Amino acid sequence: MDLFNNLLMGLSTALELNNLLFCLIGVVIGTAIGVLPGIGPIPTVALLLPFTFGLSPASAMIMLAGIFYGAQYGGSTTAILVNVPGETSSVVTCIDGHEMAKQGRAGTALAIAAIASFFAGTMATIVIAVLSVPLSILALKFTAVEYFSLLVLGLIAAVVLAHGSVAKSLAMVLLGLLLGLVGIDVSSGVARMTFGIAALSDGLDFVPIAMGLFGLGEIIANLERPAERRVVGQSIRSLIPGIADLRAAFPAMVRGTALGSVLGVLPGGGAALPPFSSYALEKKLARDPSRFGKGAIEGVAGPEAANNAGAQTSFIPLLTLGIPANALMALMIGALMMQGIQPGPQIMTEQPKLVWGVIASMWVGNLMLLVINLPLIGLWVSMLKIPYRLLFPAIVLFCCIGTYGIANSLFNVWLMMGCAMVGYFFIKVGVEPAPLLLGLVLGPQLEENFRRAMLIADGDFTVFLSRPISAAILGVVATLLLAMLSPQIVKTRKEALAE
Amino acid sequence: MMTRFRIDLQDLLFGLFLVAVATGTLVATRNLTVGHAADMGPGYMPRVVALALLGFGLFFTGRGFWGTGRGIAAVELRPLLAILASVGVFALAAERLGLAIVSVVTVVFASLATREGRLLETVPFAVALSGAAVLLFVKLLGLPIPIWPR
Repeated sequence: MDLFNNLLMGLSTALELNNLLFCLIGVVIGTAIGVLPGIGPIPTVALLLPFTFGLSPASAMIMLAGIFYGAQYGGSTTAILVNVPGETSSVVTCIDGHEMAKQGRAGTALAIAAIASFFAGTMATIVIAVLSVPLSILALKFTAVEYFSLLVLGLIAAVVLAHGSVAKSLAMVLLGLLLGLVGIDVSSGVARMTFGIAALSDGLDFVPIAMGLFGLGEIIANLERPAERRVVGQSIRSLIPGIADLRAAFPAMVRGTALGSVLGVLPGGGAALPPFSSYALEKKLARDPSRFGKGAIEGVAGPEAANNAGAQTSFIPLLTLGIPANALMALMIGALMMQGIQPGPQIMTEQPKLVWGVIASMWVGNLMLLVINLPLIGLWVSMLKIPYRLLFPAIVLFCCIGTYGIANSLFNVWLMMGCAMVGYFFIKVGVEPAPLLLGLVLGPQLEENFRRAMLIADGDFTVFLSRPISAAILGVVATLLLAMLSPQIVKTRKEALAE
Repeated sequence: MMTRFRIDLQDLLFGLFLVAVATGTLVATRNLTVGHAADMGPGYMPRVVALALLGFGLFFTGRGFWGTGRGIAAVELRPLLAILASVGVFALAAERLGLAIVSVVTVVFASLATREGRLLETVPFAVALSGAAVLLFVKLLGLPIPIWPR
C-alpha cells in the first residue's frame, strides 16, 4: 500500500539520529517559547531560521515544525497554571483549565491537555498522510495559470478566515506583495524600488521583517500594559487522571481532533479558530452548559485537541501544494527557499523524503512532547518565574544578532528597526500583520506565475476562467468574497473569532 | 476622550499610511517600463499593486472621517524609544566595537524600556548574556563578527 510505504519512508527519515535530535531541539525550544508569554512562535521561528541554514532541508523543516507544534503544546501549561495564554491558541484553555487548577486539579488538567494533544497529533498525522496523495496528484496537473489562481485562493482564504477586518487584511496582503516586489526584476534585470541600496537588490529578507513586525513591535506594545503573573501556588499532586475524568474527556478529544483537523487545513484559520470552535461546540453539546467556565474537563480536552490537530493539518497546503496556510507557514516556505527548494505543486513528487520525513516526524515529536512535558512539568513551571524585565532585553539582543546573521548585513538590523516601528504602529491602529508576511513571501511567485500565464495566453485575462481547474479555484475565491458581504456570515464569523 | 470628534483615528491613520506608501511607490517606479499584459515590463506589477493600495488607503481615510470616534491607545514613549535605540546602537556599533561590548550595551539600552529594571541586576545579566552570545554565535556558529574592538 502506497500510504504505508510513504509513511515508512518518512519514518526512516524522521528516525535518523540527527533528525531525532533536531526534532527534540525543536520541541524543547517550542515548549519553552509556548510556556513563556511574551514572544510568539513567529518571531521565534524567524530568529532560529539562520541556525537551520547549515542543516539538510529535512532536518531544518523537522526542527522548525517541532518549534511550532511544541509552542502550541507549551502554551497550555501557562494557561492552566497562570491563567495567561502563553500563546493565542491557548486562550480558551485558560477558561476551564485555570479554574481546574484553582480547585486543586492542576495535575489532571495538565495531563488531560497533554493526552488530548498527543491523541490529536497522532490522528492529524494520519489525516495528513491520507490527504497528501490525492492532493499532490491533482497538483501535478497545474500550470502557471492554475498555480496563480491557487496562490490567489491561498491569500484570499487566509484573509477571510483570519480574524480582524477583511478590508484591512486585504490591504495588508497588498502591502506585503509590494514589499515582495522590491529588488531586481528577474525578467528584465531592472532594479525596482531599491533606492540605490545594494542590499536591496536581492529583495527584502523576510526574517528582519517578521522579527520587527511580530517580535519587537509586540514587545514594545507588551511593555505598555504591565501584566502580573501568578503561578498557582499549590504543588501539582497527581498527574494521572482518574477513569471518570478520562471518560468525560475522551469524546471531547475526538470531536476536537476532527474539528481541528478540518479547520487547520483551511488557510488562515491559524492558531485561534480551532480551539475556539471546539470550545463552543463542547458547550453546546454539554448536558449542563453552566459547568463551563467552572472547571469543565471537556473545556480543556476539546480545545487542546483541536489546537494541536489544527497546528499539524495546517501543514497540508504547504507540504502538498507549496502554499502557506498562515504567516508561520509562510516562514517555513521562506526556510525552504533559502535551502534552494522551490515550493510549489511539485514539492511532493520532487521531495518525497523531505515531505514524508516532516509528516512522520510530527508523530515522533508528539511522542517526545508527551514524555518531555509531564515528568518535566516542574522545570517549565520554574521557567515561568523568569521575570519579563530580564526576558525581553535578551530577546531584543538575540533578534539583533539573528537578523544580522542571515546575511551578515547591518542593513537587515536597520530594516528590523524600521519594521519594529511599523509593527508598533499596526498594533496601535488595530491591524494584523500576518497577511503582510503571506503577501511578502508569495508575492514573487504570484508575479512570476502571472507573467508566465499571460505570456502563454498572449495577454488574454480570460485564460484564468477558461481552464476548468483554475476557474473552479477562482469560483471558490469569488464565493468566499461574496460570502463576506452576507451579514449573517459576518455575524457568525465575528462570534466565532470573538475573544 | 476621543468622543468629541467623529473621527476614527485607527482607520484614518492606517488609511493615510497606505496612501503614503502607494504614492511613494508610484513616484519611485515612475521610470520603469510598464509594458502590456502579454509582455509585462518591470513596472507593471508595482503599478497595479500600488494603485490598488491607493484605493484601499483612500477608502480607509474616508471611513476614518465618518467613523465612530474610535481613538487609539496612548503612545508611551519610554518602551518605544528604548527598544528602537537598543537596536540602533547594535546596528551602529556591532562591527566596530565587537559583539562582546555591543551585546552589553544593547541589553542595557533595552532594559531601560521599563521602570522595573535595576542597574545592579541588569549589568551582570547583560554581561552573562554577552558571554553566551559570543559562545553561541561566534564560537559555535562561526558568525563572522569581531568579538572585540578592532
